[in-house]
Amino acid sequence: MEKKTIFVTCGATIPFSKLVSCVLSDGFTRELVEYGFVRLIIQFGRNFATRFDQLVQERGGKVERTDIRIPDDEFGCDGNVSRYSLMDGTLEVIGFDFSAKVQKIISDFSDLVISHAGTGSILDSLRLNKPLIICVNDSLMDNHQQQIADKFVALGYVWSCVPTEISLTASLRASQTEKLKPFPVSHNSGFERLLNDVVYS
Amino acid sequence: MKTAYLVSLVLIVSTAYVIRLIAILPFFHTQAGTEKDTKNGVNLLKIRKSSKKPLKIFVFLGSGGHTGEMIRLLENYQDLLLGKSIVYLGYSDEASRQRFAHFIKKFGHCKVEYYEFMKAREVKATLLQSVKTIIGTLVQSFVHVVRIRFAMCGSPHLFLLNGPGTCCIISLWLKIMELLLPLLGSSHIVYVESLARINTPSLTGKILYWVVDEFIVQWQELRDNYLPRSKWFGILV
Repeated sequence: MEKKTIFVTCGATIPFSKLVSCVLSDGFTRELVEYGFVRLIIQFGRNFATRFDQLVQERGGKVERTDIRIPDDEFGCDGNVSRYSLMDGTLEVIGFDFSAKVQKIISDFSDLVISHAGTGSILDSLRLNKPLIICVNDSLMDNHQQQIADKFVALGYVWSCVPTEISLTASLRASQTEKLKPFPVSHNSGFERLLNDVVYS
Repeated sequence: MKTAYLVSLVLIVSTAYVIRLIAILPFFHTQAGTEKDTKNGVNLLKIRKSSKKPLKIFVFLGSGGHTGEMIRLLENYQDLLLGKSIVYLGYSDEASRQRFAHFIKKFGHCKVEYYEFMKAREVKATLLQSVKTIIGTLVQSFVHVVRIRFAMCGSPHLFLLNGPGTCCIISLWLKIMELLLPLLGSSHIVYVESLARINTPSLTGKILYWVVDEFIVQWQELRDNYLPRSKWFGILV
C-alpha cells in the first residue's frame, strides 16, 4: 500500500487549538491509517508548542528520535521540530510552530492538505494542485473566512469542514472517494493586457 | 473694473481646475478602455519591445494577507512587471519587507529601493496621539510619493496597490500632484481588491473606487452588485 503524508497548517499568528486536537483525535487518526497515511505533519502556529506536546502525549504519543526519514532542516523552522510516533508506531507525527518552506512541504511531501481558511494558505495548496480540506475557525469574528470557504466549496475546488472530529473525518472520507475540480491557472492575459495598456499609455 | 477682471480670472482658473479634476478622476474615462482591448492585445509584444526604457513600478505591501497577494501578483505577471524594472517598494512592517527581499532575490536584474511608510493608525492610541500620527504619516508619505513620482518621469510606470489604508494616502497625494502639475501626466494607479472580498468591498476599496485609474476585483458578484465600473478577470493571485 502507498505510504501517504497529510499536512495540517493552522496559519502563523492565531492558534487553532480545536483543529490540532481534532486531527490528533482517536477516530481521525485511526481513519488516516486505514486510508494509508503514515505521516502527519502539523504546523500549529506561534506560542503553541507546549500545548502541542501536551496534546500528543495525552493521546499516547511517544517521542521519536531514531527513525527519522525527513531531516529537520527540510521543515524550514530553525530546528524546533517535535517528533512523535502514535498508534504503536503506525503513524509518525511531526509538529512545528512556523515554517519558511510551507510551499516546499506541500509540493514535496504532502498527498493531502488540511488548512485554516486564510487565503494565503488556501492558495498555497491550490496553486500546487494538492487536494485540500479547509477547516473554518468558528471562534474567529472574521466572516470573510467563512465566505471564502463557502465560495471555494461551491466552485468545487476544495472540501470544507468545521473543527469537530465528525466533520473532519467526513471530509477525509470525501477526499479519498471524490475528485475536485481543477483550480484555474493564475495567469490571465486580459489582466496582463490591461496592465500593459496602463503602463505604456 | 479691477474686481471684474479679478473675478473672471478666478472663475477661469477654477473652471480649469474642475475640468482637470474631472479628467484625472476615473468617472468618465474607464469605459473606453474595454473596446480597444482586443486591438492592443495584438500589438502587446511590439509595444513592449519598442520601449527601451525600463519600467518603474511602485508596489505597496500592506501586511500578512495583502503582502501575500501582492507577491503572488508580481510573480504571476513577472514577464511584464519584473523584467529589468526599477521597483520602488513601500512597506509598513518589517516582516513584509523581509518577505519581499527574499522573493526578489530570484529577479537579480531588478533594482529595488525601499521606502518605509508609518502606519496610519495604531491600536489603543488616544485622540491626540492619533492626530499626531496621522499628520506625521501624511507628511512622510508626501515626501516619499513626490520623490518616487518625479523619479518616474519620462519612463513607463505603474503604481500597483492592493490595500490597506496607507494606499488611500498615497493615491490622494498622486492625484493632487496630477491636479496641480498637468504636465506630469497620469500616475497609472491600478488597485486590485483582495481575493477575500466576495460580497462587499473593503473600506480602502470603497474610497479608491473614486480615485484610481483602474479598479480590479477578483469576484464577478462584487463587480455586478457594488462596483459596476470595476473590471473583473477572475482570480489573479
